[in-house]
Amino acid sequence: MVGAEEAARLDRLEIQVENGGGGAWEYLCLVRKLKPRRSDKVLKHGLAILNDPKARSNLGGEEWTLYEQVAFAAFDCQQHNVAKVFSLSLPLPLHMCDCVAVLSKEFPGSLRVGRLEGMLLEAENSWAEAEKVYARLLEDNPLDQIIYKRKVAIAKAQGDLKVAVDFLNKYLEIFMSDHDAWRELAEIYVSLQMYKQAAFCYEELLLSQPTVSLYHLAYAEANESQCIEYSGFIILLFLRFLLTAFIEQVLYTMGGLENLLTAKKYYASTITLSGGKNTRALYGICLCSAAISQLTKGRSKEEKESSDLPSLAAEALLRDYKYRAPKKLPLLNSMLKNMKLSS
Amino acid sequence: MAEDLVLDRAIRDWVLIPLSVVMVLIGFLRYFVSKLMRSYQTPDRKVLKEGQVVLRARNLRVAAGFIPTKSFWSRRVYFTNEENGLLHVPKEQAQNPQAQMFSDPNMAMDMMKKNISMIVPQTLTFTWVNFFFSGFVAAKIPFPLTHRFRGMLQNGIDLSTVDVSYVSGRSWYFLNLFGLRGLFSLILGEENATDDAQRMMQMGGFGFDPTKSLSAEKDSLDIIQHEWILPKMEKRAEDVLKKLLK
Repeated sequence: MVGAEEAARLDRLEIQVENGGGGAWEYLCLVRKLKPRRSDKVLKHGLAILNDPKARSNLGGEEWTLYEQVAFAAFDCQQHNVAKVFSLSLPLPLHMCDCVAVLSKEFPGSLRVGRLEGMLLEAENSWAEAEKVYARLLEDNPLDQIIYKRKVAIAKAQGDLKVAVDFLNKYLEIFMSDHDAWRELAEIYVSLQMYKQAAFCYEELLLSQPTVSLYHLAYAEANESQCIEYSGFIILLFLRFLLTAFIEQVLYTMGGLENLLTAKKYYASTITLSGGKNTRALYGICLCSAAISQLTKGRSKEEKESSDLPSLAAEALLRDYKYRAPKKLPLLNSMLKNMKLSS
Repeated sequence: MAEDLVLDRAIRDWVLIPLSVVMVLIGFLRYFVSKLMRSYQTPDRKVLKEGQVVLRARNLRVAAGFIPTKSFWSRRVYFTNEENGLLHVPKEQAQNPQAQMFSDPNMAMDMMKKNISMIVPQTLTFTWVNFFFSGFVAAKIPFPLTHRFRGMLQNGIDLSTVDVSYVSGRSWYFLNLFGLRGLFSLILGEENATDDAQRMMQMGGFGFDPTKSLSAEKDSLDIIQHEWILPKMEKRAEDVLKKLLK
């Protein structure tokens, strides 16, 4: 987890290095440790160090780590041939292909360098070759997490989301406590609109990290979207089967109601965890309450809606908008009025 | 009985300090040799998966209040199901871990290597100490001891009238053996092969025993009563918002 101190130090170093002060190596080490995605800066300063033979020999054994880091940054920036030349006297690694070539000369047959080669092929969009490289590496090292994840990335980059889901599931069968993977799977499911499965993944995330408000929010939204799915079903069925649809409608609405209630609870927990500042959660509460009251309009049994939560949330939203986006205040006002009117 | 023996300063120069220096050097030697001899153990797929399963089950147990009851139940069944639950280990598979240890050639080799790197230098040094540094009083321990320690600490000093506080070189050896561990962890970093005492303590627990941890997790999962804490959150959210809006 990134501490606030380290994040501040990173920013400070970045400004310092940008303005020509020293400390590039320290900056690069910190970037490697904290993993923010500052590829263009890393590329610029990393190449500066690599192209300067004195600085390079100063690094000693760490030189290879720097090569790897610069290679990653070059992949990210799509710099197939890096343009800037800082010194002309030595054969210098300028391209990212060169970085990878230098590393594979030094460490032939190594897993890390193999991965880099695969990523190089990925960056050049030769997916089939990259898959071949990864398959070969997997044979030798069947339990390498990063290779599995690269395969998923290839599938996702090719737009093949179902295949990506497949791969991720296989990966998660073995490495089931990798919360990053669960998160990725959840996002893919949401983009495929498979909300039930997405909800399952978010539950896993909630179990492993219950205090991250983001997951509560995402789970609430997945639940709410599930209800909307159900409502879509209702309309369809109602058009086709009349009488049976009535019963099923009740059931689905029950299912939808349950999901809405769950969603509302999780929006509430997001608010608690984030101290009331999360705008999406406030909106979520208002929408959920409005939808719930619509669904329970005909029935008189669920009369426990006596909390002030929706009104409080509305008030908080109004205040927030007054501070930050006063021009949009009338829109908000009208929307809230609609919800209050219809509930 | 408790006369004060005057110990020659030369004892300190020629016994205590050289002994400590030799032990430190031997420690360094062992560290580097163990680094050279260390074999890379490829992780076993089954062991890895079981470790992850245990982690996941533990997460489920700890944070059960955060997910709805139905999800919790479905997950619990998934884990503890009698037929194909992840945590359920059928009786036949619960082998004696020791037998498993010895049947796996890799593990046996590993254990042998560890034992050798630990026992051989210890034995050699001990013999050397006994040979050279016995038969005279080397040091005085500042606190009194009972007579039982006489046999261990005073080898070579065959006078039963000498106070047990006066010990021979052997006791200095033992003192160094346990005391230099701290020094080594400062100098060599955390992972060093000189942790003899720790190793000896670990000899009891033979390696990673998946069966026990799986059944332990299963039992604790079976016990849990699920209590969904989310309903309280609504009340709390109200309070938070009220405070915010004041």
